[in-house]
Amino acid sequence: MTTTTPVGAPAPTGERPPVVSPRRRTGRRGPGPLFVLPFAVPFVLFLVWPVLQGIWMSFTDSSLALRDTSFVGLDNYAEAFGDPDVWSSLGNTVLFTAASSVPLVLVALAMALLVHSGLAGQWVWRLSFFVPYLLPVTVVTLIWTWLYQPDVGLGNELLGALGLEPVGWLSDESVAMWSVAALTVWWTVGFNFLLYLAALQSLPTVFDEAAALDGAGAWRRLWSVTLPQLRRTTVLVAMLQILASLKVFDQIYILTKGGPNGSTRPILEYVYDVGFTGYRLGYASAVSYVFFALVIVVSLAQLRLFRQED
Amino acid sequence: MPGPGPAPGIGRRRLLRYGAAGASALLATGSLTGCSSRASASDASALNVWDLFQGGDGMLMDDMIRAVSKGSDGFDVDRTILDWGPSYYTKLAMSAAGGRASDVAVLHLSRLAGYAPGGLLDPFDLDLLAEFGVTEKHFTPAVWARTKHEGVVYAIPLDVHPFIVFYDRDAADRAGLLDTEGELAPMGSPKAMLEAGKALAEVTGKSGILFGHVTDTAQNWRQFAALYAQTGAAFTLPDGGPAEIDTDAAVQVVSFMQQLFDGRTNPNNLDYNSALAGFLGGRGGMAMLGEWELPTLRKSGIPLGAAPFPQVFGKPAVYTDSHSYVLPHQSSPDPARRRQAHRYVAEILKQSLTWASAGHIPAYQPVLAEPAYAKLDPQSSYADAGKVAVLDPPNWFAGAASNFQNRMCQPLQSALLGNTSAEKAVRQMVREANTLLRQPNPVA
Repeated sequence: MTTTTPVGAPAPTGERPPVVSPRRRTGRRGPGPLFVLPFAVPFVLFLVWPVLQGIWMSFTDSSLALRDTSFVGLDNYAEAFGDPDVWSSLGNTVLFTAASSVPLVLVALAMALLVHSGLAGQWVWRLSFFVPYLLPVTVVTLIWTWLYQPDVGLGNELLGALGLEPVGWLSDESVAMWSVAALTVWWTVGFNFLLYLAALQSLPTVFDEAAALDGAGAWRRLWSVTLPQLRRTTVLVAMLQILASLKVFDQIYILTKGGPNGSTRPILEYVYDVGFTGYRLGYASAVSYVFFALVIVVSLAQLRLFRQED
Repeated sequence: MPGPGPAPGIGRRRLLRYGAAGASALLATGSLTGCSSRASASDASALNVWDLFQGGDGMLMDDMIRAVSKGSDGFDVDRTILDWGPSYYTKLAMSAAGGRASDVAVLHLSRLAGYAPGGLLDPFDLDLLAEFGVTEKHFTPAVWARTKHEGVVYAIPLDVHPFIVFYDRDAADRAGLLDTEGELAPMGSPKAMLEAGKALAEVTGKSGILFGHVTDTAQNWRQFAALYAQTGAAFTLPDGGPAEIDTDAAVQVVSFMQQLFDGRTNPNNLDYNSALAGFLGGRGGMAMLGEWELPTLRKSGIPLGAAPFPQVFGKPAVYTDSHSYVLPHQSSPDPARRRQAHRYVAEILKQSLTWASAGHIPAYQPVLAEPAYAKLDPQSSYADAGKVAVLDPPNWFAGAASNFQNRMCQPLQSALLGNTSAEKAVRQMVREANTLLRQPNPVA
């Protein structure tokens, strides 16, 4: 954190108002802005400007295939709020976020605790838990498409061996989203695992030892000593995870294209379908700003939560 | 990152030396690219062609381009192959909207209604084409009718690629489905097709007819559109809506599809690849696929037969699409290049026999009359499909790789999987079509 007082801030009492010499002013500015430029220029060009342009676009009938656009006021937003596909895909995104975030936090924690507890062959565990995270989305979905095959897939093979009925992993509307969530947990849990493991390894051991001396068992120490100390990490992991899950698009687009019957189509795929496949950029922008509002609300809520932790 | 640098004298000398080396390296690569660009014909005079032919199709197209590039008046072609799918049509539309598109591009004929009305395409000059030996009479009326928007021709079809059936000749023979000439005998009724499935399942010991549709965004629509057209009913999408569809006929078709893919005789839960793999592995006697799978299937060693999609309702009809050449809109086209573009399309069409080896039916009819085409097996068995071709109902949102096909497939998939009734599926299809019809047209 920088601790400079801004120019023109009220001077501390009892001192003369500061007379800022021109030299000092330039000295304070220094070359700072120059160092910020390499970040600021792309940031404004590729983030701020598109965000502003997108807002404008959402009030027009902008089309991918036509040059002239006209202002249509709130028409796109009115259509978006009345479009059942917007709500169902938004619901799908929320369902996916809930279905993936909870296990992605809990499983990561469990894996980190297991590895930290001193299992033999540490590096093997660390590697095997983390490696799926390094795979590109196309590879992951290709593998899982075959695992989920109704006839020859490993999933139904295993169920069959246990004497259970086969499941339509990707064809059953009530199952498909859970299949996507399972794939996502397998794929990305390694990152959260790493955050937890790093946090665990940096915990001071004194509390644990003291509790052990006082006769606390392993479970008691885990519950009352380790987990409370991991609280900040849990908040961080959960926050990052929820934001990442809300952004879901790629694995679903490749795996199911939003099917069966729209049951896995996330809001971002709907934006893509409407905007890029259907050419209606104006409407797609409006839908994405509706989603944007939701993300802002979630982020603010999390930020508050985070502040309270401080 | 370079540091503050050593002593100035050495630094400068070094810099000069490296600078000189770097500059000559740049020059060298520059001249190399100069050479290679002429070889690969990306210089300004070359004809720019965009297509979506990958894999086996792509290689055949290479052969055809090589054939028309020979000789003194051969073409200098700069070919760009893009990934097939919705993103191809995003790119094509954007390039045409910008007015700086390629000279020639490939478009599925079913997408014409999303392109021609919005000025994304420039019309063909039929006199010019005639000069190069291509006229209306060289195409079937069913296909030619779809090349026009408001009476003006915007597309010249290269092929017709129908949704057909492939079958194992041995299995079909043992199931008693072949005629005296050893071809698939006509079916003629829904009952006959159900019986055929049962007979094939008995012969293979597994399944009868394989069809992959789960998570697919086109297959169910192809199947439905083929069967629905056979009932003689029309499905039209008038601007502004509502969709005009014979609901009874549609329900009849969906019920039949449910009966056919009952999950016992013929599986109802396959995706595209598992249906293909199942047929290749002998787990079914017949597969409903696009003819473009021919090269893959032929390699399998199965005694392969093919036939137009069997007629089970009153009227012969085969669902199809057509790779067509179009002239994407250019703001200031060069007349000489335009002339070249017309000649290119005409010359490529005359190479269609090569194209037919991939399974596609050449749209250019003189090729079909050649004895060499009649010898192509099994292509010649389904050549008639082009005469009863049915394409998507024309509207800006319909056609290959469109949201419309995807939306039609979703309720059909539910119906086949037994999650919904035929009536409900048809109601949802109508609702989806009406939703699309209510949307403002972004290309006009």
